[in-house]
Amino acid sequence: MLYQYSWTVLFAPLLAFAVIIFVTRVWDMLSRPRVQEVPAHGDTHADIHGSIDPHHDSHNERARGADAINRVPTDGDKSLDDPTNSNSLPIGRDPIHGVLHGGHLDDDDDPKVPFLSAGAKASAYVALVLMAFACIYSWILLINSVVSPDPMLVKTGYTVFQYTWLNLGNINYQIAFHIDHLAIAMMVVVTTVTLLVQFYSQGYMQNSAGYARFYSYLSLFAFSMLVIVFAQNFLVIFTGWELVGLSSYLLIGFWINKKAKPEEQRPSPASASLQAFVVNRIGDVGFIIGIMILFVSTGTFEFSKLQIAVLGMNKTALTVAMICIFCGAIGKSAQFPLHVWLPSAMEGPTPVSALIHAATMVAAGVYMVARTFPLFYAADPAAFQVVGWIGAFTAFFAATIALVQSDFKRVLAFSTISQLGYMFVGLAVAGSEYGAGPGMFHLFTHAFFKALLFLGAGSVLFALHHAMHREVQDMRLMGGLATRMPITAATWLIATLAISGFPGFSGFFSKETIIGLAYDHQQWGLYALTLVTAGLTAFYMLRAFILAFGGKGGYLGGLWGGPYRGEGEVHESPPTMTIPLILLAIPSVLAGYWTGFFTYLNPDAKPLDIAQLLILPDTWIGVAVSLVGLIVAYAIYARVELTKIEAFVQSRPALRTVHRILYNRYYIDAFYDWLVKYVVLNGICWLAQAFDTYVIDGIVNGVASLITGFGSGVRRVETGQVQSYMIGFFGGVAVLAVLALVLINVVK
Amino acid sequence: MDLTSLLFWLFAIFMVVAALLVVGLRNIVHSALALIIVFAMAAGIYVLLNAEFIGIVQVLIYVGAVTILILFALMLTRIGGHPRTNPTNRQWPIALVICALVGATIVFAELTSPRAIANVGTGAGQLPTGVSNVVRIGQLLYSPTSYSYVLPFEIASLVLLVAIVGAIVIGRED
Amino acid sequence: MGLTLNHFLILGAVLFCIGLYGAISKRNAIAVLMGIEIMLNAVNVTMIGFSFFNTVKVHRPDGFGNYAQYLTGQIFAIFIITVAAAEAAVALAMIIAIYRKRNTVDVGEIDMMKW
Repeated sequence: MLYQYSWTVLFAPLLAFAVIIFVTRVWDMLSRPRVQEVPAHGDTHADIHGSIDPHHDSHNERARGADAINRVPTDGDKSLDDPTNSNSLPIGRDPIHGVLHGGHLDDDDDPKVPFLSAGAKASAYVALVLMAFACIYSWILLINSVVSPDPMLVKTGYTVFQYTWLNLGNINYQIAFHIDHLAIAMMVVVTTVTLLVQFYSQGYMQNSAGYARFYSYLSLFAFSMLVIVFAQNFLVIFTGWELVGLSSYLLIGFWINKKAKPEEQRPSPASASLQAFVVNRIGDVGFIIGIMILFVSTGTFEFSKLQIAVLGMNKTALTVAMICIFCGAIGKSAQFPLHVWLPSAMEGPTPVSALIHAATMVAAGVYMVARTFPLFYAADPAAFQVVGWIGAFTAFFAATIALVQSDFKRVLAFSTISQLGYMFVGLAVAGSEYGAGPGMFHLFTHAFFKALLFLGAGSVLFALHHAMHREVQDMRLMGGLATRMPITAATWLIATLAISGFPGFSGFFSKETIIGLAYDHQQWGLYALTLVTAGLTAFYMLRAFILAFGGKGGYLGGLWGGPYRGEGEVHESPPTMTIPLILLAIPSVLAGYWTGFFTYLNPDAKPLDIAQLLILPDTWIGVAVSLVGLIVAYAIYARVELTKIEAFVQSRPALRTVHRILYNRYYIDAFYDWLVKYVVLNGICWLAQAFDTYVIDGIVNGVASLITGFGSGVRRVETGQVQSYMIGFFGGVAVLAVLALVLINVVK
Repeated sequence: MDLTSLLFWLFAIFMVVAALLVVGLRNIVHSALALIIVFAMAAGIYVLLNAEFIGIVQVLIYVGAVTILILFALMLTRIGGHPRTNPTNRQWPIALVICALVGATIVFAELTSPRAIANVGTGAGQLPTGVSNVVRIGQLLYSPTSYSYVLPFEIASLVLLVAIVGAIVIGRED
Repeated sequence: MGLTLNHFLILGAVLFCIGLYGAISKRNAIAVLMGIEIMLNAVNVTMIGFSFFNTVKVHRPDGFGNYAQYLTGQIFAIFIITVAAAEAAVALAMIIAIYRKRNTVDVGEIDMMKW
């Protein structure tokens, strides 16, 4: 009974989306006041800073672009206070959201409103209420299924919603949603993190003119992710896959007019969203091919039927199909070589990064592989080898890049890529005695601490934005924030320890399980890579923490507090932002203690044995490596000033070269840019376009011009002179006569 | 060669030469006069073939009426200033070829046809004597009871009526 | 040598071709008409020739015994002459009308139906 109505969890965010788009956002848009003239730029800053000109000069330096909207008057003669000055900023003119009332374009081109209208707030409440309902329902489902497991749910699961889309002969396309333990576990993660992010966004996105739009997109995303979670067959999961890509596109590109910052190697959100979508699509090509191979061989899309049907399938075909399906996961979960979109996706608002690119969307790939785990298992071991090696390589690769990044969110992006690699390694080495357990377990714990890391980063960036009046993401301008933002710093430290695999925190259990399994199954390559990556992870995470929150001269030997390298006054964020941080810190610690996770997913699996884990020597080798990473990071960054570290690296040519390669992310982004620009756009696209213009249009136009040419030639037959016609007539007679005679004589 | 053949060859050669002159002379009035000779020779041939009435009719109508008509028309459409009033257009080689081909084909078909009709003239000799050609043609044209061509005759008269009215209408000045 | 049908038919063919040449390649409209008249005369010669050399005998029961089988060609010839005369009259009237309008009887210049 409880399970029969679980489709409401799926449709609640869709309902929220519909209500926001059609009702509350419209209400919000209609209730915006309209103004005729635009107040001068100097007013809002004058009372804060007491003087206009120096601040405007600094704005001049930092203003990007030279288009009419953003042009700050550089002509010194004209007074900036003159409201009739035609050169003054057409402030707050946002073509999408209407003319604003006294706001001004921020440096991140996010149109702001001084206060949120009732419609906007209602949008947030609608989304929050419905998501809270979904979250509570999914927690009830989880607790119910743990406390009193339903054998039917465990064995086959329940189909909670079914709609036959097409039924012709042997084609049977169903839209079917299905619930079982794996789905419930994932559902809990998705709804909880979404709820917390939505709550957090109330503070982060306050004063944004696109507030209602943001909540509608968040609800759409939640719905799309739940479609993937609830999917019963490949068609539905693919639909959800694409919907999530769409929502990601909309959310990353949320700040529509924001410009690129080439000196920080940051693209504009519009290009970043497009890059995310296109790179995902590249992975989806493989995904579709894999689905098609499976469908052609077995005639069904449903996971449960496929499980049985693939046992009779040609093994090579199955392996190829599963590798192709994994390509979709490579795209969606940002593995090498399709990882380039995830760092660019940091251009979106930080709650988006927390929700999508830390906890849920990128985990869709892992979830899909976990769902189709029996199919991977039935294929040749090569399929799992591919999964594992790509995961391990990506983990190591991303970790090395994250060592030297200076952008706060970019470190976290590469960290996500790296941890996703861990999840795929976990799925690959598990074998049949664990099933999808270890990978999903790492996903489960990772969702919480990664979301915490991102939301904490958002809190830091929010505070710095207010302090420095511009968007700052560079860690070299932070430092010592722990004393100024204690809650953020404390929760961030908890998350850092969790991700490093510090014993006692949740990450320890999930990570060490994976590394231990790699060792047990004698996958030495995977073992080595994951082990080294654990150390690197610990290093760069603590480095990030110290660079942001600590620094030489702080408490605890430079770990907490210290000199602040930026400007302005930094304050702790409002409670709407810190409460989710605290709420997330709890599962970051405790989630690892759910030892029944493996048996929860697969009753035949072995449970997570903590005692066993603590006894095994390779667990402690892993811990030792992580501790080495932590200590090295502490020793370098907490003890030495940042400028000295940089000078040291620059002075040694080997270090300088390595630093440059890693900083530029192995130049893969540059390579892709080159590839797209020269091979795709100038090469293939040019060829295709030339083919279209010259060959196809040439043929079409050629046929037409041939006919017109023929016509204009033939029309000259109509001379209007009777004698020409007679010549034609009698010429024909003559020809026919000769022909007839020849034929008669020949035949005779 | 007996008289008939001689007469035939005479008439034929004159006719062909005159026809060539009609086509070839530079002055169109001279062409018209050569046309008279064509008609006259044709009449002669008809008489040779026991078709006296047709011969007389030919002379009356063709030489008498049509030629005069042509000469009147030439008079009324006088174009001065040209030394050559009967010019040839630019397509005359093609015309020559076509005409030669057509002619050759007809002659060849005619000569090698397996359905060659009587090669020896005895047809008209089968006619009973005493009745003149005019009477015979009259009977054939007007006979009310036996096989006759009275209907085409009436239609021909209608054609002539239309031609008269038409010529007047077209040719009048307004 | 005796006269055979072939003589007349060949004569007709030759005259027809000469008339055709005149009709096609002459520029003066009246010359074209003269060519047509020659063609019609050629046909007449052929018709009369056929009527003379006819050997078909069809027995007719009526007492008049008209001479259809002997004289059909001549009747044809009469009609051809009739129609030729009518047509010559109409054609010449048209030529005069055109001459009045355009001051030319050159058929090469009467090409209003051209492209």
